Amino acid sequence: MSAARSVYLTANVAILIFLIAPLAVIAIFALNPTPYIQFPPVGVTWRWFQKFWASPEFTNSLVLSLEVAFAVVVLSMAIGGAAAIGLERGRLPGARLVTALFLTPLMLPAILTGLAMFQLLLSFGIGRPVWALVLGHTVVAVPYVIRTTLAVLSEFDRRVEEAAAVLGATPTRVFAEVTLPLIRPGVFAGGVFAFITSFDQFPISLFLVTPGHETLPVVMFNYMKFDLDGTIAAASMVSILLAVGVVFIIDRLVGLRATVAI
Amino acid sequence: MPAVDTLDLHVQPGEFFSLLGPSGCGKTTTLRMIAGFETPDEGTIAVGGRDLTRVPVHRRDMGMVFQSYALFPHRTVAENVAFGLRMRGVPKREITERVATALGQVALAGYEERRPNQLSGGQQQRVALARAIVIRPAVLLCDEPLGALDRKLRQSMQVELKQLQRRLGVTLVFVTHDQEEALAMSDRIGIMNAGRLDQVGTPADIYDRPASRFVAGFIGEINLVDGTMAGGRFTARDGTPMPCPAGSDGPTTLALRPEKITLGAPGSGVADGTITDASFLGDQVIYTVTTGAGAVFLVKERNSGAGHLRAPASAVALDWRLDAAVLIGRA
Repeated sequence: MSAARSVYLTANVAILIFLIAPLAVIAIFALNPTPYIQFPPVGVTWRWFQKFWASPEFTNSLVLSLEVAFAVVVLSMAIGGAAAIGLERGRLPGARLVTALFLTPLMLPAILTGLAMFQLLLSFGIGRPVWALVLGHTVVAVPYVIRTTLAVLSEFDRRVEEAAAVLGATPTRVFAEVTLPLIRPGVFAGGVFAFITSFDQFPISLFLVTPGHETLPVVMFNYMKFDLDGTIAAASMVSILLAVGVVFIIDRLVGLRATVAI
Repeated sequence: MPAVDTLDLHVQPGEFFSLLGPSGCGKTTTLRMIAGFETPDEGTIAVGGRDLTRVPVHRRDMGMVFQSYALFPHRTVAENVAFGLRMRGVPKREITERVATALGQVALAGYEERRPNQLSGGQQQRVALARAIVIRPAVLLCDEPLGALDRKLRQSMQVELKQLQRRLGVTLVFVTHDQEEALAMSDRIGIMNAGRLDQVGTPADIYDRPASRFVAGFIGEINLVDGTMAGGRFTARDGTPMPCPAGSDGPTTLALRPEKITLGAPGSGVADGTITDASFLGDQVIYTVTTGAGAVFLVKERNSGAGHLRAPASAVALDWRLDAAVLIGRA
């Protein structure tokens, strides 16, 4: 019993270390004054962060990444939320097939999705405007919203909607006053994933950005090809903290804990 | 197969009417048709002469209480109760007053700001009830509203619901599979079986004069004896003549409630038998009596005092009054 318990604890600690160690390495790298990875660190400095903030290339790409991610979150919540309701409630013939189709972007390697989008845009002569980048991210973000919304909908007690209807609520008001508030945690949980998917997106962005209008991961990749100093670690820390901040704020606002297994 | 087949049901204004039947008999479907969640393939549904068959749910002006309460989990008690009034565009001040009155009627004054998940099952069901009656519906529909409550609470809620219905004068259609509940609360009961109404009547009618084998067997316990009527006399299949009210000649079934049989000394009644089993229930004892011809009867005897319990295997006679038995046609 206690032997099994200590094995269990050890395994958990090992997995946690495995997950957290890279973050620790980046944090040390970002704060260490030497321009290369060194252990143990020789001191603490903000110079890499200062260099990051001083570089228009980095800050412009950070702003672009945030703008794109915001647009992707709004779009994918609207599309994914509506799609999930339709799939769960619509009694559509072939709803399972359509659900599977909606989820395929999760299964395809993103590099293929990016290449396919690039070729599609080329063949239509559209070029690579920012809205195409937003749409590209949205395609891979929507499945997350569908999944999380479907999870909430499958637990949904439809009697609550019926009760509202008996009390005089038109179908539109039932949706606005009961359905929407109750599925909101699921849609927002999907929105968090959509944000991370977009903010973190590299393979798709690689094909869809134009020089001078690159997202943060692409700029970081390009930077690393020529320089490897603490700036890249500082950029990583900024994007990690932003992602954690967004998750935290949304959790405070709508309570992601209300969402069940995804 | 249709869930409900050829149903003709008239509920009187101000009546407490129960639809009673086993699960899957169509009682909930019937209630959902009245509410407007289901549309009948043919026929009409009317309230007070107004045809509602094609009227959508939200314009039927009915109250409904669900077994799962179906409260809005994201709203407070007061907001839950106010919902129907808000949908009707009732002014804010009037809403506040009427919500307070309704919560008072279900003894929940002071709970306005709680959330449904902070309430017990019984309290949630009271909120559901207040939410339904605050709109002053002409008809209140209840779908097994007490089914999720424990026995003690259920009994006190039965009394409260009944009193509230009387006070408000609302017509109440109550769906239940619990026969005791239906007998205790209803003015009239409709027994449903396989999508049809088998019998409609007062609780006493249903209990004492069941119209079919199904009704007889569904409500309480009953002894059923197959036999033949000839010349106004009933003879069981095993040849024993038995007292019963008048009826037409032919094969029929005699139905007899266990508590209407009296036990006496052998040779003094309709048939002699021996006690083959006894269940002591406290206020009464249920004996299983097997007659000489091999028929088995259940007999309920009141426990009138210590020392009066009958010994197993003792010989007894079964007897009953003419009007204690009813004849029911072969179902």
